[in-house]
Amino acid sequence: MSRDHAVNDWYPVADTVRPGARATRLLDTDLQVAWDGAAAAVTDAAGTAHPVQIRYGHVWTCLGAAPRALFEISEAEEPGRRLVPCGRVRVRCSPLRAVENFLDIAHFPFVHKGILGAEPQTEVFPYAVKIREEVDEVWATQVRFHQPQAAKSAGGATEIRYEYRVPHPMAAVLYKTCPPRPEAWDVIAIFVQPVSETECIAWPWMALYDDESSHAEMVQFQQEIFVQDRSILENQLPVRLPLDPRMEIPTRADLTSIAYRRWLKRRGATYGAMTEAQ
Amino acid sequence: MTFTLYNDVLDAECYKVRLLAALLGLSPRIAAVEAHPGAGHRAADFLALNPAGTLPVAAAGDLVLSGAPAILVWMAAAHDVTDRWYPRDPGPMAQVQAWLETASALAATAGALRREALLEHPAPSGAAQSAEALLRRMELHLLLQGMGGRGWLVGTHPTVADIACFADVALAPDAGIALDPYPALHAWTLRLRALPDFLEMPGIAPLHALVDPLTGHR
Amino acid sequence: MTPCPVALSRDLPPGGVKRVFARGRELALWRGASGQVAAWDNRCPHRGMRLSHGFVRGDRLACLYHGWQYGTDGTCAHIPAHPELCPPATIRATGCDAAEAGGVIWVAPEGYAAPPELPRGLVALRSLTFRCDAARLARICGLEAAPVLYLPDHPSLVILPNPLPGGQVEAHVLTAPLPAADRVAAVHLTEALRRAAEAEETA
Ligand code: FES
Ligand SMILES: [Fe+2]
Repeated sequence: MSRDHAVNDWYPVADTVRPGARATRLLDTDLQVAWDGAAAAVTDAAGTAHPVQIRYGHVWTCLGAAPRALFEISEAEEPGRRLVPCGRVRVRCSPLRAVENFLDIAHFPFVHKGILGAEPQTEVFPYAVKIREEVDEVWATQVRFHQPQAAKSAGGATEIRYEYRVPHPMAAVLYKTCPPRPEAWDVIAIFVQPVSETECIAWPWMALYDDESSHAEMVQFQQEIFVQDRSILENQLPVRLPLDPRMEIPTRADLTSIAYRRWLKRRGATYGAMTEAQ
Repeated sequence: MTFTLYNDVLDAECYKVRLLAALLGLSPRIAAVEAHPGAGHRAADFLALNPAGTLPVAAAGDLVLSGAPAILVWMAAAHDVTDRWYPRDPGPMAQVQAWLETASALAATAGALRREALLEHPAPSGAAQSAEALLRRMELHLLLQGMGGRGWLVGTHPTVADIACFADVALAPDAGIALDPYPALHAWTLRLRALPDFLEMPGIAPLHALVDPLTGHR
Repeated sequence: MTPCPVALSRDLPPGGVKRVFARGRELALWRGASGQVAAWDNRCPHRGMRLSHGFVRGDRLACLYHGWQYGTDGTCAHIPAHPELCPPATIRATGCDAAEAGGVIWVAPEGYAAPPELPRGLVALRSLTFRCDAARLARICGLEAAPVLYLPDHPSLVILPNPLPGGQVEAHVLTAPLPAADRVAAVHLTEALRRAAEAEETA
């Protein structure tokens, strides 16, 4: 589908962990990205420079003439949180499938067995989903699930509460019970760089309260989980996300995914999607 | 005696060590090294331990070992009282050695393709053809082993050779290499995954078929 | 049209599941605990996950993604996210006709078709994939392309070719009952055939 809608969003094209240059692709466009530790530059093959902003541990760029504002994650500024960019993982799947998977909890006992879920506790309890019109975001709230080891900082099994937020067609933010601080939420986000409609690079990022774990432990915990998802994402057919509700069969557990697909369709965010049954 | 394993969760070489440790009932202390994106294996403190800057590293007191083949052999020789995981008869011992070399060749081909697919580290040219040749060789060997009533690379009990070769074979689909054309190899990976205390890694799903859905236990 | 030979029965034990192709149609082929074989489109109706990555419990195939379970007739029998729910009968995996004969699993990608007659008493040797098409495989055997290849130079060998996407072909090889040493020799012969066919391919 067309990238007309997609070009006016911001996307991550590098992390800011270490200075360096990389060649990459965004929305089928070849780019050079340079980050020197203080400033970044993004240019395409024709030498055109694209705008850059440094947010949430990543270099973001936009290829279109009328960039929409990048969403806010206010927790990123909260003192005491540890900000953890988790590197990049390349996946041969639609960028939209990657986001949808991030919003899904029913797969925990099978794909993240022993960490985020385990049989026989497979039930997805009712939760609330809505499109918050004032901010034009998809939100799922009152989500809860039984988890054997919800986070690096969780000592053992707990019932974890979640809220999900989709502020951008190719990014999602998850707020989750913070084991050491019951009154706060841990924040875990996935920023997806659409390489093409059928290939993407996921850049997971976290803002956590955790005084125990080393930085490496937190990064590796998240990498382990995301690479488990990768094996699923590379095996979903069709590769592009079907927006026609007749093509796949959801249940009540999939309310977030249903709302996400509707929201994409209504705003015309169809890059990486298929709109008609084929 | 326990040891510390310097570990990267996405690294197939580290997984070999974790897997054999699990199968032998060992629980090494895991020291996470953020190889990616932080290049923790290039940091001064890690280079002081292993100047080559490679993972995995195992440290037991003064003994510091690097590289999966050496650590696998050491774990089996030091901790397996049955001598089955690292056989001491000259013939099988040498056969194990030959398969450890095949495992290194797999790591340099199929393993490199996986690192390229996941992390964009370029694989050497020709890696796909070389990986296919290795997988075909293993398929032929395991087919003939099966016809002789032997289910493993060397003999009738799994050895460090099986562990060393298993990781990159089982992770090959992550690199876009399908295992459909290799029925004997596929059957061997299932046998290995069904071993008691088998440990999975991202890209190698647990055998849910063995779990009792009512209790969640195997 | 004859059905496609997609696997040797012995390579799909009870509890086994694998991906196969029948005239370009990608299928999940599986066998339940009681021995019955089924071939379904390799796509879970829920969120499209390849069912060939799933796992078998009893006489159901479960999808790896969210664990939905399907019975041998294809209807969804269990949705773990809603353990109390009785899934509507409209949720079903679509399949095609699968049959076993002569130690081989045959799939008819459309309609129903009886497997070809084979000599009695053949024994499965192996399946292997050639990087060349079915025509070249037949030619290297000294034959025209056909659903069953009786090797003129090796009368104890029978090859059932099954074309795969990407211009490849898989060969399911059967033999007359042979002593163990001759079976090993037959395996090496199949390797030699493949070397010859692929050398011609690159020549
Ligand atoms: S995709 Fe198969 S159970 Fe969800
Ligand atoms: Fe997941």
